[in-house]
Amino acid sequence: MAETLVRRARLRRFLFLCIAVLYVISVPWYRSSDAEVEIVFGLPDWVAFAVLCYASVAVLNSLAWMLQDPEDEER
Amino acid sequence: MSFGEVGVAALGGYLLVLIAVAEIARRSKQDATPSDHFLAGRDLGVLVLFLTLYATAYSGNSLLGYPGRAYQAGFSFIMSTGFMMAIIVLFHAIAPRLRPIAAQNGFVTPGDWVRHRFRNDPAGPILATAIGILMVIALANFLLAQLQAMGTMTSRVTEGIIPHEFGVVGLALMILFYESLGGMRAVAWTDAGQGILMLFGLMALLFWLMGDGGGLANITARVAAVRPGALAIPDAETCINWFSTVALLGLGSVLYPQAIQRIFAARSGRVLQRSFAIMTFMPLTTTLVVTLIGFAAIARIDPAAGVASDEVMPYLLGEWASSGGVRMFAAVLVFVGALAAIMSTADSCLLSLGSLAVGDILGRDRSDPRTTRTGKWIAAFVLFAMVPFAIQRELTLWRLIELKMELLVQCVPAFLVALHWQRLRAWPTFLGLLLGTAIAVGAAIAGAKTVFGIHSGLLGLGANLLVAILGSIRSAPRASVSS
Repeated sequence: MAETLVRRARLRRFLFLCIAVLYVISVPWYRSSDAEVEIVFGLPDWVAFAVLCYASVAVLNSLAWMLQDPEDEER
Repeated sequence: MSFGEVGVAALGGYLLVLIAVAEIARRSKQDATPSDHFLAGRDLGVLVLFLTLYATAYSGNSLLGYPGRAYQAGFSFIMSTGFMMAIIVLFHAIAPRLRPIAAQNGFVTPGDWVRHRFRNDPAGPILATAIGILMVIALANFLLAQLQAMGTMTSRVTEGIIPHEFGVVGLALMILFYESLGGMRAVAWTDAGQGILMLFGLMALLFWLMGDGGGLANITARVAAVRPGALAIPDAETCINWFSTVALLGLGSVLYPQAIQRIFAARSGRVLQRSFAIMTFMPLTTTLVVTLIGFAAIARIDPAAGVASDEVMPYLLGEWASSGGVRMFAAVLVFVGALAAIMSTADSCLLSLGSLAVGDILGRDRSDPRTTRTGKWIAAFVLFAMVPFAIQRELTLWRLIELKMELLVQCVPAFLVALHWQRLRAWPTFLGLLLGTAIAVGAAIAGAKTVFGIHSGLLGLGANLLVAILGSIRSAPRASVSS
């Protein structure tokens, strides 16, 4: 039981790290502001990439919530 | 029947439903204690908790402010999906630790946590009062934004049959009525219905916009033709502002008093965990949708029409309705759904404001039914004090959001840091709070909204954290830590 909790906590920390990385790369700070913009899925490429990052954050964050060990159970 | 007449009928029907829900909630009351009135007896289940969190988080700001801001700022406002999601990520830092302590100690207001955490510290009560005052001010600002949005939506859906001023006053009275009668139960149940209405309404509007505009790619091409700069990759300052906005709104929103009180109101930790696991997807179904609506507006609205940013959403709905037939009824439903969402946020603010004013500022007894009554009176007073400001409409909804968040983030040390770092002391935290608030308020008065793209509230938080942490490290170690 304790081992499972430790493994869960470790996995959650890894998910938080992935979420942080996704947030950092969702902002196009690494691209020149006069670079050419392509249209991807009907949106400018940097916008489509940001949406993809945020959709991934949603999945990882939901997983992180499900791995959370609630300290008190339902009454 | 004209659009305005259908609007009046739909609004009337919706208000009747609210009255019925309030009466059912009143009959479900177990007692007159603040815990029962303000936290629904701490018995909210997964579905109602999720929907009330959802309807509370997505308000007049999201429905009117965000499309308006996306229309103004262009595609860089895609950051809104990021900051709304950051809220549910940052709740990991507060909810799992705070909820068990709150359940164990019977917390009703956020100030109860501060008093508990710093219970052996002489400055604990003054810190709790200062935080209570700051949160009440932020709530009053939030309430003002909702009242302003309620007036706009009412006058638009009824085509001016009910003017803006009457919309503000009439709906404020209605909120006061059902909130006083049914407390958190009425608020949570109406939130649940309001959340569903908003979700489906926005989806329907987006489908119409996409269909009518020939798909997303066509809309983007038209935006490129009308305003080419809207598609450009943001410059360095806008990128910094993007990070700053995610941090400001993420941190500020987890400290919404009404959100903290929903953590207290959850039936259990597991209920809360499941609600957040679902909530994390809602920025994709709501914020992204309203942002895309704002982008579509760039292509649809002629700049010469001079549509104000907060009027973008009503303008589009008006266009939708004018295409006639079933679309007119659909547009009315979306209008009422949006109005419902705005009211659901206003009612949560009002409920929270009343409890904070009596509990954290006046320090009244949590178990006394008279505390509940006093809270209702104070909430009513603040509500009507806000009405004249809402009628004037001097600030945009987006600016009101930023101002509120710049104040709320100053509470970060007392919650996020205090939950995770036991050496934090009350005096340095109080001094940090004063300094951070002074910087945020001073910058707002001086008109310095951002410095190199960073919000002045975040700069204030930096100074605030420095004082709180360094001051606590320097203080002699005393037994003032929480369990």
